[in-house]
Amino acid sequence: MKALMLGLLTVFKHLFMHPVTLEYPEKKRELNNNFRGKLEVSGCVGCGVCKKVCPSGAINYTKNESGKVVSYNFNLEKCIFCGNCMYYCPKSAIKMTNEYELGTENKDELQLIYTGGADD
Amino acid sequence: MKTRTTFKLNLGPQHPSTHGVLRLLLELDGEKIISCEPDVGYLHRGMEKMAENMTYIQYLPTVDRIDYLAGFFYSYLLVDLVEKAMDVKLSEKVKIIRVMLLELNRIASHLLWVGAFLMDLGAVSPFFYAMREREMILRYFERLTGQRMMYNYFVFGGVRHDIDFLEDIEEIIKILPSKIDDYERIITENPIFVSRTKRKGIITPDMAKNYSITGVNLRASGIDYDLRQNSELYQGFEFETVILNDCDAWSRYKARILEMRESIKIVEQALDKIKSFDALRQILINPLTLKLPQREYYNEIEAPRGLASCYIMSDGSEIPYRLKWRTGSYYSVNLLRELLVGNYINDAIAIAGSLDIILPEVDK
Repeated sequence: MKALMLGLLTVFKHLFMHPVTLEYPEKKRELNNNFRGKLEVSGCVGCGVCKKVCPSGAINYTKNESGKVVSYNFNLEKCIFCGNCMYYCPKSAIKMTNEYELGTENKDELQLIYTGGADD
Repeated sequence: MKTRTTFKLNLGPQHPSTHGVLRLLLELDGEKIISCEPDVGYLHRGMEKMAENMTYIQYLPTVDRIDYLAGFFYSYLLVDLVEKAMDVKLSEKVKIIRVMLLELNRIASHLLWVGAFLMDLGAVSPFFYAMREREMILRYFERLTGQRMMYNYFVFGGVRHDIDFLEDIEEIIKILPSKIDDYERIITENPIFVSRTKRKGIITPDMAKNYSITGVNLRASGIDYDLRQNSELYQGFEFETVILNDCDAWSRYKARILEMRESIKIVEQALDKIKSFDALRQILINPLTLKLPQREYYNEIEAPRGLASCYIMSDGSEIPYRLKWRTGSYYSVNLLRELLVGNYINDAIAIAGSLDIILPEVDK
């Protein structure tokens, strides 16, 4: 009986504590720069390391005759946001942003296509 | 003359107490369980076969998903195995960072278990309290690694970037012991909890050995077996192995609570050590040339749910020829075959819950 009362008292104590939940989507958490969200590319030289380290085959790019990357495609339908491409990119050309609300009715929005390379 | 018949009951595959999908085919005589046949495989994702088509670097992020509650452990296993195979010398700071994150992960995993186990027994409040404290740890992991559960923070040759936000860990280890005291006040001596777990689901030491049970479940059966005590990684850390002799569901609960307290001690020591180091220096392994010499490799660690190990057979190429995981939960599921027999069906969930079975880890 004593143990039950002690337990109840401890539970009762919690009634006066601040709430720990957040009313998403009205309020959102602050994320720092380490967060692994939607990808961004700038200054790619087309070395192809990201494609080789990607576990889910989400990265594709096309090159022209002179070897320059003309189009770079991230398929967010396949991406698992592991951050391998960002970590192993020798030019630090890939960044992961804080954007995480990627739900969409249009699948084409999940194909991130970047054109142009390091010369731009 | 009437003949006594038994009937078969499917417990699962959808049941909140299994944290995944497990089907127990029970044969009942009234409310008494006569036989139990666990049926696993609903969450099979082919983690082992997948490895045979991926390079080591491609495979590493997927390893966190074997046990989503303790991702660091499996990621550590693979990373450590490859580093040993390639004879990479790690800096001391990397090792300490890894120990600290592993132990924080162990606390988070045990916290979820405490909440879920009590939920199985019908107590709702401890679940929310445990999730609240686990959230502190997961938020720290998110700040450091970028994601809450799929960390991918350990890389071959070190960690992704230097450790940061140490003030968060200071806060966690300051708050956590008092919160665990709270759980103990609510749970440990509670007569309803005690009557539902004491002398229920007794795993005798012989039974535990026969079924290859490891981890907390084994130590709660009075056997002193903790890989951390002799491991190279934990050298220089002072902590005790929790051994209880009651062999029942209650002692498995108590052992996890005590183990969390030991883990907090390790995190404290690791934090002190990390503060004495300078900035991190580490080797970056070229992802395009990572190959293991032709040989067989084996590595093991004490994960929250028992001994976890990784076996790799390499043919000298950049892709493993064969990769095998050993996970603790798989053996715990097998034990249910014997453990539930003779008990009543209303104890089945309490007993199965006390083993800390995580189904993704079982099915791989």
